Amino acid sequence: MTLPAFRLERPARLADAVRILVAHGPEAMIIAGGTDVVPNLQMKLFSPRVVVDLKPLRELAGIEFTPASGLRIGAMTTLTAIMQSSLVRSKFPVLASAVGTIAGPLQRNMGTLGGNLCLETRCRWYNQSQFWRNALGGCLKLEGDVCHVAPAGKFCWAAWSGDAAPALLALDAEIEITGPAGARRMPLGDFYTNDGMSRIALARGEMVTAIHVPPRMAGRRGVYHKLRIRNSIDYPLAGVAVTMDADAQGVCREARVAVSAVNPAPLLVKEAGELLTGRRPSAELMEEIAHAAISTGKPLTTSASTPVYRREMLKLFTRRALEELWQNGRA
Amino acid sequence: MHNSATKEILRLKVNGEEREALAPPHKLLLDVLREDLALTGSKRGCDDSSCGCCAVLVDGVPTLACVALAASYQDCEITTVEGIAAPGTLTAVQEGYVEAGGTQCGFCTPGFLIATKALLDRNPEPTPDDIREALSSNLCRCTGYMQIYESVRLAIERTKSSQLDAVRS
Repeated sequence: MTLPAFRLERPARLADAVRILVAHGPEAMIIAGGTDVVPNLQMKLFSPRVVVDLKPLRELAGIEFTPASGLRIGAMTTLTAIMQSSLVRSKFPVLASAVGTIAGPLQRNMGTLGGNLCLETRCRWYNQSQFWRNALGGCLKLEGDVCHVAPAGKFCWAAWSGDAAPALLALDAEIEITGPAGARRMPLGDFYTNDGMSRIALARGEMVTAIHVPPRMAGRRGVYHKLRIRNSIDYPLAGVAVTMDADAQGVCREARVAVSAVNPAPLLVKEAGELLTGRRPSAELMEEIAHAAISTGKPLTTSASTPVYRREMLKLFTRRALEELWQNGRA
Repeated sequence: MHNSATKEILRLKVNGEEREALAPPHKLLLDVLREDLALTGSKRGCDDSSCGCCAVLVDGVPTLACVALAASYQDCEITTVEGIAAPGTLTAVQEGYVEAGGTQCGFCTPGFLIATKALLDRNPEPTPDDIREALSSNLCRCTGYMQIYESVRLAIERTKSSQLDAVRS
């Protein structure tokens, strides 16, 4: 198959990239690693007039840490570089383990952190060939006016299906966005719109340039669990990331739980943090948190796997992650 | 649809040679290799980055040519399966695949050879788990995975014994 024709821009400086994005607005698309954008272009999910290749912007790749400012990872850092970074592995294990589950080693050699955070949403009615989509008359998101997941409403429920974002939400990360007015930072949770149509909050001319994790998260223990059919290559069908800081007696000082691949956005389970703080482990408490996870994570028929199964796995993963963290915490 | 983009001269460094191709900017590296440079060793399997048949080395790193824009890879050293051994010779990895039956229909073999070469260049003595992990982006629809793992093991053994021979002689 061939891609739809476009003009390729390879800006040498970040400012040039921003200028091109400003000039072309919605007709421009960014390509970083290409592992998500290119198959989507193959399927003609979009046909940009201009594609901006960020590969020449070497300054956007790199991992830095200082005890005062915390962790900064550039948007063009490859997933392999993050997974293999001894710094990330030792200080931010939940991120290393979540990134290690993304696709397979070859995709991670190409895929970047920025690209993974900006993934297109996934839905069985959307990620299909043009022929397949046309046979159905399209869907609400593209070429049609009905959401086949929830036909009564006018809302796109395509699932945002990434693995790095839930780990970063559990690490209370901020995303750095650069645009015509310079760089700004916002909590990662605010970056996602939880609407399958728009998915992320980027204004004209803006792009993701880095992720920041606050210093207090250095050394924070965390676990990521992912549901997929095969142990490699697959996108998540459900994902749960949990981080926890507990004292020697096992009393939780701070905990964060995030779910992914079950809503149009990766989401922090807000009640979980409140319920866990100041508490010791108990089966009842873990059950309570597992229920909080499924009151936030609401899988629908966006994938070949059933919503019931994905919901059960969210509960199981949440309980399992809490058990692991509490056991290790006391050990 | 926009009017098709104009072709440009791409300068690629492939298997140690400077090559030129006239291609539009939306042309994939896999297509430039196969159609413009007549390097048909790299295969188009899934066409959506999920099977590994198109893998080539980019600066030594195994990369999926089916999701790479050729124009983006002009500053890199590209090695295709044709470039891993001198013409008429086989590397220990290729011999391992031949002897242990790691190639069945052969379609996935170029991608597996590239992934195997990248692994052994980086880590000459991988554990069985390292081998499985390194090859986990590659699909073999003959499902000959056990023979493929055995091929890699054989290649490692051969390389070690030939190194020992070299030391002894």
